[in-house]
Amino acid sequence: MFFQRLTSVKLGAAFAAALTVTAVPASATECIAPSNPGGGWDFTCRTIGRILSELGLVDGNVQVTNMPGGVGAVTFAMVAAERPDDADLIVATSTVGITQIAQGRYPAPLDAMRYLAMLGADVGVIAVDNDSPIQTLAELNAAMVEDPTALVTAGSSGAGGWDHIRLLMVAQAAGVDDLGAIRWVQFDGGTDAVTQMMGGQIDVVSTDLGEIAGFVESGDIRILAALSDDPIPAFPDIPTAISQGIDVTGYNWRGLYTGGQVTDEQYASWVERLETLYNSENWQTAATESGLVPIWRGGAEFEAFVREQAEVMEQISRDIGVIE
Amino acid sequence: MSVRILGVAIFVIAALYTWQAGNYVVNFGDVLGPSVFPVIVGVPMMILSASLVVFPTGQVEWPAPQRMWRQAAALAVLVGYTMTLEPFGFPLATFALIALIGIILGGAAWRAALLGAVMAPALWALFDKVLGLPLDFLGTLFGRG
Amino acid sequence: MEILSLLGHGFAVAMTPLNIALLLLGCFIGTLLGALPGLGPVNGVAVLIPLTFAFGFDPTSSMILLCAVYFGCMYGGRISSILLNIPGDEPAIMTTLDGYPMAVQGQAANALAISGVASFVGATIAVVGLSLFAPVLARAAIHFGPADYFALYILAFATIGGIAGVDPRKTLLSALIGLLLATVGIDPISGVPRYTGDNYHLYDGIEPIVALVGLFAISEILMLLEKHVRDRPKAIPVGSWLPQWGAIWRTRAAMLRGSGVGFVAGVLPGAGASLGSFMAYVTEKQWSNKKGTFGKGDPRGVAAPEAGNNAASGGALIPMLSLGVPGSGTTAVLLAMLVSLNVQPGPLLFERQPDLVWGLVASLYMANVALLILNLPMIGIFTRLMMTPTWALMPVVAAVTFVGVYGISNSVFDLEMMVFFGVVGYILRKLDVSLVPLVLGLLLGGDMERNLRRAMSISDGDWSILIASPISIVLYILTAGFLALSVWLALRDHRQSQAERLTEG
Repeated sequence: MFFQRLTSVKLGAAFAAALTVTAVPASATECIAPSNPGGGWDFTCRTIGRILSELGLVDGNVQVTNMPGGVGAVTFAMVAAERPDDADLIVATSTVGITQIAQGRYPAPLDAMRYLAMLGADVGVIAVDNDSPIQTLAELNAAMVEDPTALVTAGSSGAGGWDHIRLLMVAQAAGVDDLGAIRWVQFDGGTDAVTQMMGGQIDVVSTDLGEIAGFVESGDIRILAALSDDPIPAFPDIPTAISQGIDVTGYNWRGLYTGGQVTDEQYASWVERLETLYNSENWQTAATESGLVPIWRGGAEFEAFVREQAEVMEQISRDIGVIE
Repeated sequence: MSVRILGVAIFVIAALYTWQAGNYVVNFGDVLGPSVFPVIVGVPMMILSASLVVFPTGQVEWPAPQRMWRQAAALAVLVGYTMTLEPFGFPLATFALIALIGIILGGAAWRAALLGAVMAPALWALFDKVLGLPLDFLGTLFGRG
Repeated sequence: MEILSLLGHGFAVAMTPLNIALLLLGCFIGTLLGALPGLGPVNGVAVLIPLTFAFGFDPTSSMILLCAVYFGCMYGGRISSILLNIPGDEPAIMTTLDGYPMAVQGQAANALAISGVASFVGATIAVVGLSLFAPVLARAAIHFGPADYFALYILAFATIGGIAGVDPRKTLLSALIGLLLATVGIDPISGVPRYTGDNYHLYDGIEPIVALVGLFAISEILMLLEKHVRDRPKAIPVGSWLPQWGAIWRTRAAMLRGSGVGFVAGVLPGAGASLGSFMAYVTEKQWSNKKGTFGKGDPRGVAAPEAGNNAASGGALIPMLSLGVPGSGTTAVLLAMLVSLNVQPGPLLFERQPDLVWGLVASLYMANVALLILNLPMIGIFTRLMMTPTWALMPVVAAVTFVGVYGISNSVFDLEMMVFFGVVGYILRKLDVSLVPLVLGLLLGGDMERNLRRAMSISDGDWSILIASPISIVLYILTAGFLALSVWLALRDHRQSQAERLTEG
């Protein structure tokens, strides 16, 4: 009747939903965001899903399913076990997900999936409260070198996750020896971490800029460094870490994977459609407005990139001491 | 007696739970770690359940055997529903669920069957058509998939 | 004065025919979804998101529709709590404690009317709070650190012993079982899977709604099977179809207290409506349970938690809109929808999108009035449900709970969990163990643990951080006061009953 023609969105409470192939109408394209609503993966699925149907690249709407759990591990395991050949399924992933795989935190290896494309990247930033005595990245680094335990740092990932590693990479470049001594606190999102910093509970936040950009514009927090090669177009005044002598970049790219057993034609078709989407005005606008830098890598090039990044990430995690 | 058995059961669960917590270790960046909170929960559970074993309160009257059989039958129907929902599809499995539970609860067989025959398609229509939560009309057995 | 003009502007935005139609539709669907056990506000809002996209509504209209559903669910959840002893959604569990006993005593119409009016009072107070103080309150809430949240949960669990049941040890055990269940799943801080048995269905933990409907609905069927076997139809006296206005008026103080407590719980990100209704009930019970009527059908035990749950739901919009921090599962879904419509909630939302914010606030006032008008005449219809014979009512309830859970998750595993929890719930009920603390433990346990661990990470392992802030000290003093009062009341009752026995003897 009223909602008859609508594809459903299963959200929130859809806990580890064992979505069998049979349960989903055969024609529906589905994008799984392996997180709760509101985060980066959720944004990826919702925005890409919306634009895919706006551009007519899929039949009807794209059904967005939230399947949180284990920083993407639940979804990864489900796709590997139950839907490896479902060509109508795409799953959001990012540097965060690849970091988890590189550290052996997913129940299946990297090869279990085929990686489609990267469509944009969020830039990692190091931020302090507006009232903080720390004015520059150099001052932060000096404080951490003098006493690694002096400051409380936080972000949206757990210990050893990408937000944490980015901060440790900066500290390592600055010459902090005992990286394990730096205090790290996990929050459920970058916004949670920032508000706790404004409340005086923690001193430094390391996370993606996109989610917390509003607090930068309102003047509540101060960004010490952007972990990008070039200044961010939306915030040209924020200095990069490189420009301050710390040679660290920390992007969080946003991309998609599909099951490991989809055929080459189906894979190629997805890459082609995503490239069309990437080049559209809709995506460029949506990405920029939400603080992403549009970047394209697709198909075989992207597969190679993912593999290389996983190796690099494993090496960094080993160096820093996150894994043995 | 029943309370004592409950106390023993909870004590065993809590003990296993607390013991298992010791296996969850991380050595990087997580001060308290994943094992302390389960211990904080498990130890008072053991103390409280042990106190229930020693000083039980309350009397329990379990149902007569033939009523227990009815309960077992109801549970069998509920478990059966979880197994037949996907093969048989939603309306058929739900018809059986409503009719059988209705009969077990003392309804006349033909009335319970009629209720199931009306409510099962109605619920399917409400969820699949009105709320947009897709439910299979025909199950995997009948070629849907 | 400035607020009045902003609000007036908001009403102008909200008063378009489309927005009013969406508002009424949202209220109706929300009440329906809230009343169906197994479907709650999170799913209710999620189900309607595609609608907003499909019709290309602007962000303001979308928010009006979804917030009407959200508020409607909060109104609807109480109906099955009162009539069937099965909560329609998580925050409605407290309403079973006195609502169902009232219905059994033939007071169903009164219970429904009181809870409806209490919902209206709670939600309206929250919306007034939202329109007057949102930015200020959001700024105050950020001073609540991890150690303070932990202290808040300690306060909640310390007072749990007083909510129900004969033996406080059993009540406490029930809460601990809930906390135990809350640790199942992948630990978000360390990434370690705990107590999952390598079953990935358990990686994301045990979904509270699955446990809730299993514990209450399935166990209710098992309870009925031992009482009503082929004998009589349900012999509940219905009393009057119509509520008595005097009964509602007498609970006004309880409604106001419940609203205040609930609103505070709602403004704190993470605590949410369940904590709001729980704290409202416990506070009210401590405040006015002089004759031991709570838990046996005291109208104030219905008014307080319903006011609290609706006030908390409204309050939870404050951190969501002005900080971008979702205070509950439902506000997380609302936040996601705003983000995908290219609206970024946060400190600048009130300045940059005044149409959206004030249109939404105005529509919430209207939704409340609409819900009250919608709900009161339905009391007569709902009360007649009590006349339905058990053999017809309970199978349909079972089917609705199954399909509610399955329709969202498409997971047969969830249904198996429901049946399992049904058996557990039946055994615990037979042994006089209240199920309410178990559900609360499961709902709040994850946050409680994470905040403890965050606090310890901040202090680098120094436990004294737990009592380092003035907020946590106040909360611990309140906890101690609550416990002392409970002990004193218990001793007094004990002495009184002894004295009575002496005079009788």
